[in-house]
Amino acid sequence: MALLEVIGLTKRFGDRTVLKGIDFSLEEGDTKVIMGPSGCGKSTLLRCLNRLIEPDGGQILFRSEDVTRADTDVRLLRQRIGFVFQQFALYRHLTALENVTLALRKLKGMSSRDADAKALLELRRMDMEEHRAKYPAQLSGGQKQRVAIARALAMDPAVLFFDEPTSALDPEMSREVVALINRLRYEGVTMLCVTHDVSLARYVTAQVIFMDAGEIRAEDEPERLLSGHHDPRIREFFGNLGHADA
Amino acid sequence: MIPESVNSSAIWVMPMLELLGFWRDLVAYGPQLVEGLRKTLVLAGSVSVSGLLGGILVFGLTLSQQPAVRRITEAWVSFFIGMPLLVLLFLVYYGLPQWGIRLSPFAVAFWGFTLNVSAYNARYLATAYRSLDAAELEAAHAQGFGASQIFLWIILPQVLRLSVPALTNQVILNLKDSSIAFLIQYTEFFAQVQELAAQNFRFFQAYVLAGLVYLALVSVIVLAARRLEARIILPGLER
Repeated sequence: MALLEVIGLTKRFGDRTVLKGIDFSLEEGDTKVIMGPSGCGKSTLLRCLNRLIEPDGGQILFRSEDVTRADTDVRLLRQRIGFVFQQFALYRHLTALENVTLALRKLKGMSSRDADAKALLELRRMDMEEHRAKYPAQLSGGQKQRVAIARALAMDPAVLFFDEPTSALDPEMSREVVALINRLRYEGVTMLCVTHDVSLARYVTAQVIFMDAGEIRAEDEPERLLSGHHDPRIREFFGNLGHADA
Repeated sequence: MIPESVNSSAIWVMPMLELLGFWRDLVAYGPQLVEGLRKTLVLAGSVSVSGLLGGILVFGLTLSQQPAVRRITEAWVSFFIGMPLLVLLFLVYYGLPQWGIRLSPFAVAFWGFTLNVSAYNARYLATAYRSLDAAELEAAHAQGFGASQIFLWIILPQVLRLSVPALTNQVILNLKDSSIAFLIQYTEFFAQVQELAAQNFRFFQAYVLAGLVYLALVSVIVLAARRLEARIILPGLER
């Protein structure tokens, strides 16, 4: 059964149409990567799916329930979707542990003890337990991203969204995070990942969605998109990234 | 001709006698001065607390999702920052009785200061808010927090930390400005110093005393603020 089904999703900002009828689906346990040039609407799409940005038209079915309806409990929807940001977006005034426990205590109503136990479990999963008492300013970029992933996973989300998770990292840290995302994939975590990072697409995913100018131009296996695709726009894009036999 | 040694002794004796006389008056008038000091501290302390709470409330309203609420709050803040405090106090203390509304000097001073200080504190907090990372707020929304939860758990702890120097300055201003409350018959410390000076005509000594007392109190506030800043600075963000 599709966890997420997007039908004809549109979004305009003023007179600029950013999403022009997006259709795709994401099965439970699946991982998909969305790629495309800057400004093609990838990040807007991700934010429309959890209604951080209100879509103008189309439907988003989350476990068959239309979550674009006006009476949708948007906050509950967001709690079911973990979101990991490019710039980590950790709360600066909280330690790594507190970053993970805040939502558990305030949104899930867990006691401090239970929230700490759950948070430590997730931090351990991300090899970050020993850094639990550190503040974000004391962590490296890769460590911050691990805490951000632990924070998202702690809420037991149905799906994890990543918005350019490796863009702000140096190559070594980027490889670490890619390996981590890959591990989650094998653990069966459903993921949707927006990225420019070809290595992430290659290493992690079974399916890549290629977007351009607010539309999905192709959805295929990474190698087929990366190596001499029949669509010249896709060949050009990956050629510019230096990863296609264009 | 007066010998030089006698002349130089007189130069020292006169001020000593003056000082002794002032000291005697000071001891005699001590209870009133202490009472005045107590009233100064009560006014400055209470408006610092109410001004902080009011500032947080007004700052919260400036973040409202309702444009009308934001506009009204902004106008409110601008009005009370623009209105001289003394005019506000006179308006309420001397103006309102014209319409049958009479308030005690303390009530007028408390509410006048609170409105004024709240407006300033709201501005300080709003300035600190602009330096927050927008991504943090987006992340909080993405996690499913509501607006009031984000305000309480994400925004407020950070803007209060960032605003400590400005808020401390405001507490110092509250203490110093409390001296204008004597103009609406609130007999705080400076009013008592005036009274003392008027009785013995030793104005210079009286005002030096007032200045030293205010300086000592300000020093205590500054030291306390430094300790607070050292405690709340986030590891990794020290300068």
